[in-house]
Amino acid sequence: MTAKPLPAPDADTHAFWEGLREGKLLLQRCRDCGHVQYYQQATCRDCQSAQLEHQPASGRGVVYSYSVVHRAPGPEFKDDVPYCVLLVELDEGPRMIASLAKDVDQESVDFDTRVVLEVEQVAEKVWLPRFRPV
Amino acid sequence: MSNSAQPSIRGKTAVVGVGQSAKVGRVPGKSPLALSVEASLAAIADAGLERREIDGVLSAHSFAAPFHRFSVAVSECLGIAPTFSNTLQVSGATAAASVNLAAAAVQGGLARNVLITAGDSLLTGMTPDMALRAMTESRDPQYEAPFGIPVSNTFAMTAHRHMKQYGTTPEQLAEVAVTMRRHARQTPGAQMTEPITVADVLASKKVTTPYRKLDCALISDGAAALVVTGAERARSGPNKPAYVLGGGECYTHEHIFLMPDVTTTGAVQSSRKACDMAGVGPGDFDVAGIYDCFTGTVVMMVEDLGFCRKGEGGPFVAEGNLTHGGRIPSNTHGGMLSYAHIGIGASYFHFVENVRQLRGECGARQVPGAELALVHSLGAGFACNATTVLGTAATL
Repeated sequence: MTAKPLPAPDADTHAFWEGLREGKLLLQRCRDCGHVQYYQQATCRDCQSAQLEHQPASGRGVVYSYSVVHRAPGPEFKDDVPYCVLLVELDEGPRMIASLAKDVDQESVDFDTRVVLEVEQVAEKVWLPRFRPV
Repeated sequence: MSNSAQPSIRGKTAVVGVGQSAKVGRVPGKSPLALSVEASLAAIADAGLERREIDGVLSAHSFAAPFHRFSVAVSECLGIAPTFSNTLQVSGATAAASVNLAAAAVQGGLARNVLITAGDSLLTGMTPDMALRAMTESRDPQYEAPFGIPVSNTFAMTAHRHMKQYGTTPEQLAEVAVTMRRHARQTPGAQMTEPITVADVLASKKVTTPYRKLDCALISDGAAALVVTGAERARSGPNKPAYVLGGGECYTHEHIFLMPDVTTTGAVQSSRKACDMAGVGPGDFDVAGIYDCFTGTVVMMVEDLGFCRKGEGGPFVAEGNLTHGGRIPSNTHGGMLSYAHIGIGASYFHFVENVRQLRGECGARQVPGAELALVHSLGAGFACNATTVLGTAATL
């Protein structure tokens, strides 16, 4: 089976991927304006301050949208089909892409379903965020 | 109405030449470069120009070609040395963005005759590596790709939410596909002409919720080209000029999870800007080109482009408003859903068709008296939106 694409941490994201290894989804919080963001970058997207600190998310959110993939984007995902990709809106505000945790019945997912984060180890040093309906 | 004190491209340039590869769809044995040059030579001849009169070249990227600078490869292949050239990258919005930029460049004196071309061999020319590169064109390698998101998935999530929020039905989405197929059947050379019904769409293989195979654009080989020149030169050319009356664009996000509202897009601002510059409103258009990568994309666009109210796109398309006799005959060539989808440059064909409509050259699929056209290009899960308004001399 072909290897799935793995995230390659960069200067902006090292802490984020290490946080997942510890089961934590790290959001960035701006000390100047209080804005909270998921996509890691050097500055606050609201006020452009560089005074950002990491803050673990509660791990809770709702399904904002989703799509069940029946046709894999490549050979590495063929065995997983059908699988559910989620656009989750975290309780803290930001949205993120993730997929359903293993062994979750896809029928249990709908718009506004409440979900909770879990992390899954997919490679020696890589943990991915997944979500499970509560 | 447009403010004449503001800088404006209104009426300063026109599309005077259109061309395409002799064949679209399955065209083995021709490289994207060869296809683009074929289309380019056709457009240059159509404009009544010699190839050496082209001093500007804009193109999209081509997945099945090895070039980093496709526009420069095109001019090298044509044996010309332009003073203005770029290989633009705003995903599927590149077509309208190219026309807008060409108009500004000509008006600004950076070039006199700009060739705009796109070509690719998505069906027969892709190696596995190239296919992977195409797949990841809109995917973030850290935040999205690890979850196995196909190209369609981002668009699918917006359409899925649109169904939830506004009650848009699979049958209404299917009507878009049926309409595009009907249009393609009247267009010589269209890739898919076998008639389809709503039932056929609903029975086609699932791709990614809510999309089935017939909800999705084709995969094609082919190329299209346009020539843009100044209004004065345009008037003495062999064809009725299609004047560029307005251009607008909008880039609201890079990642789907940072899209402010997944069911309302930057097409609102993009089209409003283009229409304001042209001094027209959505109700003034006779014909349109709407980027149709998926059926649901068109449903959202008829709302955001102002042809109907937000949330009413489903009933609007189901009532026949995208075809002859309806409110805004669109993609009369069959679009990406049935004519051809050559990747980033797909909506260059929408420009070719709408220019032909304004010239009155569309034969059986002509919209009688078409004077004003809107062409909207978009890409990367609605990250990029670009609009061009074209009109005949009567609209100046």
